[in-house]
Amino acid sequence: MTAAAPEPKANMGHPVPRYDAAAKVTGRATYASDMPLDNPAYAFLVTSAIAKGRIDGFDLDDARQVRGVIDIVTHENAPKLKESKLFSNGGYAGTTIQPLKSADVAHDGQIIAVVIAESYEAAREAANRVKVSYTAVAPSASFESPGTTTTAAKGQNAQFKEDPEVGDFAKAFDAAEVKLTASYDTPTQHHNPMELFTTSCAWMGDNLVIYEGSQYVYGLKNGVAEQLGIDADKVRVVNPYVGGGFGSRGSMTPRTAIIAGIAKRLNRPIKLVPTRDQGFTIATYRAETRHEIRLGAGRDGKLVALRHDGAEVSSRPDAYCVGGTKTTTRLYACPNVASLVSIVRADRNTPGFMRSPPEVPYLFALESAMDELAVKLNMDPVELRRINDTTVEPIGGKPYTSRSLMACFDEAARAFGWSQRSPQPKSMSDGDWLIGYGCAATCYPTQMAPSAARVRLQRDGRTRVEIAGHEIGTGAYTVIAQTAAERLGVPLEKVAVFLGDSDLPPAPVAGGSNSTASTCSAVMMVCDRIRQRLFKAVTPSDSLADKAKETVGISQAPSTQAAQSDRPLDIEKAFDALGVGIVEEYGEWKPEGAPLDSFTAMHSGHARLVGGHQMKDRIAYAFGAEFVEVRVNRFTHEIRCPRLVGAFAAGRIMNPRTARSQLMGGLIWGMSSALLEATEIDERNARYVNDNLADYLVPVNADVPGVEVILLSEQDDHINPAGVKGLGELANVGTNAAICNAIYHATGQRIRKLPVRLENIEA
Amino acid sequence: MSEKSGSGPTGFDRRAFMAGAAGSALVPMTARAAAQDASVSAAQDPALPVDVTLRVNGKDKRLHIDARTTVLDALREHLKLTGSKKGCDHGQCGACTVLIDDRRVVSCLTLALAAEGQEITTIEGLATDDHLHPMQQAFVDNDAFQCGYCTPGQIMSAVACVKEGHAGSEADIREYMSGNICRCAAYPNIVAAVKQAAPEIMKG
Repeated sequence: MTAAAPEPKANMGHPVPRYDAAAKVTGRATYASDMPLDNPAYAFLVTSAIAKGRIDGFDLDDARQVRGVIDIVTHENAPKLKESKLFSNGGYAGTTIQPLKSADVAHDGQIIAVVIAESYEAAREAANRVKVSYTAVAPSASFESPGTTTTAAKGQNAQFKEDPEVGDFAKAFDAAEVKLTASYDTPTQHHNPMELFTTSCAWMGDNLVIYEGSQYVYGLKNGVAEQLGIDADKVRVVNPYVGGGFGSRGSMTPRTAIIAGIAKRLNRPIKLVPTRDQGFTIATYRAETRHEIRLGAGRDGKLVALRHDGAEVSSRPDAYCVGGTKTTTRLYACPNVASLVSIVRADRNTPGFMRSPPEVPYLFALESAMDELAVKLNMDPVELRRINDTTVEPIGGKPYTSRSLMACFDEAARAFGWSQRSPQPKSMSDGDWLIGYGCAATCYPTQMAPSAARVRLQRDGRTRVEIAGHEIGTGAYTVIAQTAAERLGVPLEKVAVFLGDSDLPPAPVAGGSNSTASTCSAVMMVCDRIRQRLFKAVTPSDSLADKAKETVGISQAPSTQAAQSDRPLDIEKAFDALGVGIVEEYGEWKPEGAPLDSFTAMHSGHARLVGGHQMKDRIAYAFGAEFVEVRVNRFTHEIRCPRLVGAFAAGRIMNPRTARSQLMGGLIWGMSSALLEATEIDERNARYVNDNLADYLVPVNADVPGVEVILLSEQDDHINPAGVKGLGELANVGTNAAICNAIYHATGQRIRKLPVRLENIEA
Repeated sequence: MSEKSGSGPTGFDRRAFMAGAAGSALVPMTARAAAQDASVSAAQDPALPVDVTLRVNGKDKRLHIDARTTVLDALREHLKLTGSKKGCDHGQCGACTVLIDDRRVVSCLTLALAAEGQEITTIEGLATDDHLHPMQQAFVDNDAFQCGYCTPGQIMSAVACVKEGHAGSEADIREYMSGNICRCAAYPNIVAAVKQAAPEIMKG
């Protein structure tokens, strides 16, 4: 076994290589812009050079002179599109700012024209020759800018229903023996998946095919149909591979319906490959946030009061917010809790989900504050977490379905060598380098959504699994294939999996880390039905058929024991008894607590996610603990992060190989969110400055010398049939706090604003 | 754009193109398209398609393309070799990396015309007789990718990294593989893959 394929522990599947590995290393994996089109025309976007105001007019003469130009589409001649509601308010769209609808400009980099030409080169040249005159108004860029408006999030956003509170915070904080009040800032960040935000649209009569990297093909299909005013059955979204999502492809962006409308008008396939910098403004991003944390504790370290106030930037029309107080108010035992989330409206594009949307900024604040409190108490930060660990969340008093937080702390601390840490700041060094150790907790809600699947089994064991899930690098093909193979008792190499096509049975959005739990639960259920049919065919007696229900039926059993207990089921014999060549089942699965309209919503592209703190009698989260070593150069103040160690418990691990890889990438994302990533905003123009991959810093190989991932064995029978908690967004949470905590340990300087760069280190 | 331009056997003179391109670069926003002036010869009009022969994965490919076409777009849009990826079009991410005469090159910053007469190797040309190249196999074994979009560029870069003699240590591999961004951050696994494949590649 290589390091990439850890030995499975209890309740873990086999670390088989990825289903799609050969396709990905040979270049045969086809992403949206790789799809062949018949005689395509090429689109190039023109985006606004102002953030607020009006377009007075276009001078298109120069652009039209470019050889090969077919059409130039502006608000004056654009296809008419219907509006779509914001994703988080029950619609499909990541923004309600609809470009090409009027002369109004709502943010910098808004699409204001689309040039269509015979070649990419001609479209690009003509786009550069489009001349625009504007009447510009001074925009509000962010928190500090005049002209913003601030309102409470509650009541504005359907997904943010309450500001959690319990007990009497003010009184308890007043009376607390030890108090901490601190403010924290996190920056704007952009997902920057490697695949650009491309869209290809081709019509065949009234039927539209869209090739676009999407984390939700059913949402995109229904959303584009809504905007075009056509039947959703006429729209098909295809993307067997997606070149990274990280949340950026979960909701519909305006570009898709625009390109579809133009393709229809020109009666020709259109291929759009936007530039990297356009990706900063035509899709969503993680908004900058501000926090104030107040902690009150006894001298024994027990929390008596906790208040978390958060503020987030959004666009003028859309009340997007992540509202991470739902998690930070429930992580530790504390009898008196208060919170408030506010939204600050500025002249910006609408933000959206980015990997662990609430947890990355909100746990940065809480986990930094916990470290500050530990310093005040002169207590080991791991012990402070232990003292405040709980099996019951404090707001609603609901028990966690399972919680391995301290087991993670202990495992990671041991692997990291935490006991070697001398607690005093500036007390460890190596030559010119000050050494700091820091740690933080991570957690992420366990979420599930209704999902369908179709499975077809042949007499020789060949199996075909169809589900409109998404392979965004998570290993979806692999774990779905493993699930079907295990459940049907067929060899893995006989299983073929089809994903990324809205003509397949619906799966939920690949977001909120719900995919594995949802799709594998659906596949398990459908496979069980096939086994049940086969079993009944060779076991005619009713009593035995009842037994079959127990052993291979639609049980909620999280392990494969049920599937194994009735072996040997002779598949060939069962097929002969049935007298058929193929057994096929389609089924729809929904998690406990899913709303009544779940299945209707599933087909119309609305994912009804349940879980986390919204379960009826329990609360479900995955947990982890992260330890980091930082080195800060005494003279240059250069900051390096030579070691990241994380231990994680997330229910059943379907495949330790793909799980480890995701968690490893997550840890690196976490480091990056502390030390590298920030979209700089020009305050005067409300414009992103570093909108390219040279200036927007993402980690490169030399930035990450040592990463260690420890997978803890955990079994949770209260979440979903697959027993899976989801871990794609677990590891990049808390890392930012762990790094600032380590910088404090190295230098004695507490940094509360991200990212930390060498110029932020004082002496 | 299928119509052939009419001057000379290739319809194009590289020297004239360079002069034309330099000239137009000075006045990009105000220059009128050549169509306005019928007396401008085809050779001086950078907007007219040109004939180019690229040698890709051991085969000659004749193309009739816009002179501004990059190697990357020539491969992807005209030769249907879509393994090489566009991640930034600015030479910042490495997803488009190919080998040109055995050197790793960002194909998005290389004009197809400038690669004429050179040997271009893409990810599609790496495996032979259905056997994965040792670097491809090492990427599979070490799970050195997630979404897979940067992977063709990583692998081409990794092959060159080894042949350059820059795979002697993990620190070297990290440094010399830092021109290829992997947003999924499979970096430790990429280092392990390069380490695994290096001895076999050096053996030839």
